Amino acid sequence: MTFRQFAFRNVIRNQRVYAAFFLSSVSSVMVFFIYSMLMFHPKVEDEFLREIAFQGMFGAEVILVLFTLFFLFYSMRAFLEARSKEFGILLQLGIEKRKLNKLILFETMIIGIAAIIVGIVFGYAFSKFFFMIVREILQIDSLPLYFSWKPFALTIGTFTSLFVIISSFSVMFIKDNNLVNLLRGYWRNEQIAKYSVWRGIAGLLLLTMAYVMAANINKAYLIVFVSLTPPFAMIGTYLFFTDSVPFILSRIRRHRKWYWHKYRIISLAKISSIMRENSRMFFISCMVSTLAFLAVGSLSSMSTFTHQYHQLNPLGMVYSSKIDNPYEKTHVSGLIEELEDKGLSYHLNKFDVKRQTSSNTQKTVKILTQSDINRLALLYSYPVVNLKPGEAMFLPYSMDSIDMLKKKNVETVLQENSIPLTINKVYPKVLFSPTELGTNVIVVSDEDFRLIKEPMVGANANQSTNHIFVFSVPEWTETKDIGQNLDALMTEAYMTNHENDLPFYFENSGLDYSFIRSTFALLLFIGLLAATVFFLASGSFIYFKLYTGLEEDKKQFDALRRMGITDKELRKIVNSQLIPQFFMPWGLAMFHSTFAFMALQVFWKGIADLSIIREIFLVLAGISCMQLCYFYLIRWRYLSHIRAI
Amino acid sequence: MSILKIQDVTKVYEGKVTHRAVNQLSFEVENGEFLAVMGPSGSGKTTLLNMISTIDTPTSGEIIVNDIKPHKLKKNDLAYFRRRQLGFVFQDFNLLQMLTVEENIVLPLTLDDQNLETMETRLQYVTEQLGLEKILEKRPNEISGGQAQKTAIGRAIIHKPSLLLADEPTGNLDSKSSKDVLELLRRINKHENTTIVMVTHDPIAASYCDRVLFIKDGEYFNEIYKDNHRQTFFQAILNVLSLLGGHVGDFSTVRLP
Repeated sequence: MTFRQFAFRNVIRNQRVYAAFFLSSVSSVMVFFIYSMLMFHPKVEDEFLREIAFQGMFGAEVILVLFTLFFLFYSMRAFLEARSKEFGILLQLGIEKRKLNKLILFETMIIGIAAIIVGIVFGYAFSKFFFMIVREILQIDSLPLYFSWKPFALTIGTFTSLFVIISSFSVMFIKDNNLVNLLRGYWRNEQIAKYSVWRGIAGLLLLTMAYVMAANINKAYLIVFVSLTPPFAMIGTYLFFTDSVPFILSRIRRHRKWYWHKYRIISLAKISSIMRENSRMFFISCMVSTLAFLAVGSLSSMSTFTHQYHQLNPLGMVYSSKIDNPYEKTHVSGLIEELEDKGLSYHLNKFDVKRQTSSNTQKTVKILTQSDINRLALLYSYPVVNLKPGEAMFLPYSMDSIDMLKKKNVETVLQENSIPLTINKVYPKVLFSPTELGTNVIVVSDEDFRLIKEPMVGANANQSTNHIFVFSVPEWTETKDIGQNLDALMTEAYMTNHENDLPFYFENSGLDYSFIRSTFALLLFIGLLAATVFFLASGSFIYFKLYTGLEEDKKQFDALRRMGITDKELRKIVNSQLIPQFFMPWGLAMFHSTFAFMALQVFWKGIADLSIIREIFLVLAGISCMQLCYFYLIRWRYLSHIRAI
Repeated sequence: MSILKIQDVTKVYEGKVTHRAVNQLSFEVENGEFLAVMGPSGSGKTTLLNMISTIDTPTSGEIIVNDIKPHKLKKNDLAYFRRRQLGFVFQDFNLLQMLTVEENIVLPLTLDDQNLETMETRLQYVTEQLGLEKILEKRPNEISGGQAQKTAIGRAIIHKPSLLLADEPTGNLDSKSSKDVLELLRRINKHENTTIVMVTHDPIAASYCDRVLFIKDGEYFNEIYKDNHRQTFFQAILNVLSLLGGHVGDFSTVRLP
């Protein structure tokens, strides 16, 4: 048997122990590889989306690698501790420490290389499926499977170096200066009272402060909150796991009447020792879960934005042109032709928009006629406007602005034509988005509109009047391919900062919608994939820890069985030691993110009018279900190990 | 009155190689007796003890403890039976690492949901008997082997079991601690009138008992009762061991011709 064969057999024969380690490595290699496949996809290159997709995926990959590093490192350390007896025997037989390190390096590399190969094979096999989903999301015609060395090189390079780093660091944990201790086996160092009361209280205080701040966040103190809350929460969480929990548990253990009760005595003692041993890992998995919750939650709340998009932009396509626009006819007839080619039914309304200066604010106000609005209102079954001369109505630009404008009651004069107006109503629906018409728009009666003859100050007649063509398309999501030439012209003008020289403005809600929707959907998809890996890995870590402590636990449960413990009680004890491991970091992460979302809610209100509670709830519920399934799976495995004598 | 009856007990391990660990063994243990079971390695001592402690079932034959046939009990009742009728002392102590000495001792009562007062009175009485008052707050890995075994004995007797089973209780202890533990067991046997069945390799340990039962290859071989003097009893034990012929413990050098 050569040295290499020895290392190889060590791995093969310890396969049950290595299985969890191997599987989570495979899953992270796989997801990493799939990300890279999309990142280097030649077809995405010329799309504008590539930028976002690339950055999103790059960020996800960095987090993935960092997390894998931590996860593998902790697993490796626990595993080496569990095998210390074996290393003790090898050292006693006269192996050099250098050679032992080499052995461990070999073993890790065997697993690592196997994980990389399996991960890439599975990743490549699944990437077609992944591309199909991405294609659906991005609504690209085709996203073919391709072959390039880049994703392979990136994945292999990253993970090989990861495994080398981990194995060379983790060997430092084998203390070969005291062989007897090694030979006696891994004796858990169970020191009681290794916590400090002050740090425990400080941890609780910091967390409470972070929560209070997050719950009471407002725009005035935004910077203070944003800069203080995350570090408070982070330090608080760390202290919570290292000091607060042991502190609370030892307080509980002082109450004998409660503590010395049936199996409670075993459960509580067991939990405190588990908490002490794994506090750092719990901290990391809590923080990573919080991050994942936040990413998934805020991304899915972004997709709510798209659900509300139609409410904010009810008009299908809007072509607005200045009076001197020479292309008006060709553009509009071009759009009509494209719509007819596609077989989409539409309704075309032409609007005149005049600009005047309001005496009240000295700002430009855009003016529409009542009959134009009514024609549109009939089409959408919106309420009809009925104004007398001298009356006017605000046209809101967003849901929020409806409430805001409701309270306004303005007496004003259109200065250029001296038309007095009373604006005391607001139209109850949003028709035009602020990009189409701006934020200061009113509707007047047809009589008053005819009276506006003088152009706005500082502008000639041509500049002061616009034509707006509104294409109302019932199947508005289907219009994304229409008017692409106009869109290209607009994009070009924006790129060169000439957008004000263009004689027209074109907005296609269908296109915008599909763009926003696919961006967020893609990011959400990336986030979900990464979150899945995190959950898989932190679950595997618990399984791994359980497995390495299995011999010890078996002995303990054997002693308990002889002492006369019923099956039900045994299950309850196992439950009570598994539940905190699974659900405590995760529950705290849930708590963290709930408060973070409360703070974010304030933000969102400013940017877009939407409430994210329902989405957040759905996401958290989904992840909880996943975690619950994993818990039952691992409990089932553990119980069957414990019961086998 | 006998508290433990073993009647024609046979244990066969099925498997690739069928192995008959215990064969047609019968004996009785009187109430308040201190019995040692001796025999060479592989003679079925531990199998026998496992069957008495009900974690293993005999292939045929009957075991009756205190007029109860534990192997006929349902699973839960069996657990309750173990928890109330039996006490167990292991060779490697098997204390729960996460509990303190005090908590380890009181554990059987806690599992049985006794009230706090009873627990505290019993705990105080037992710790006084064992002389463990000073280390109650310590963890099992902070105390010596002798103290650990005393703790285990405390755990085994706190609920006043009708039968105390001990598997090589001195196997991991030095001579001083062994002597302490054995004298403690004898004292408990005399003062509390606790019946003890102890499996051992060690003739010295066996010489503390009232009766020594020898088994060989799972079958009854011989038994001897103690006389007035422990020294002569020890000699008698050695005589039987030399007849047994197996490699019994470390005492081959002092075996009589």
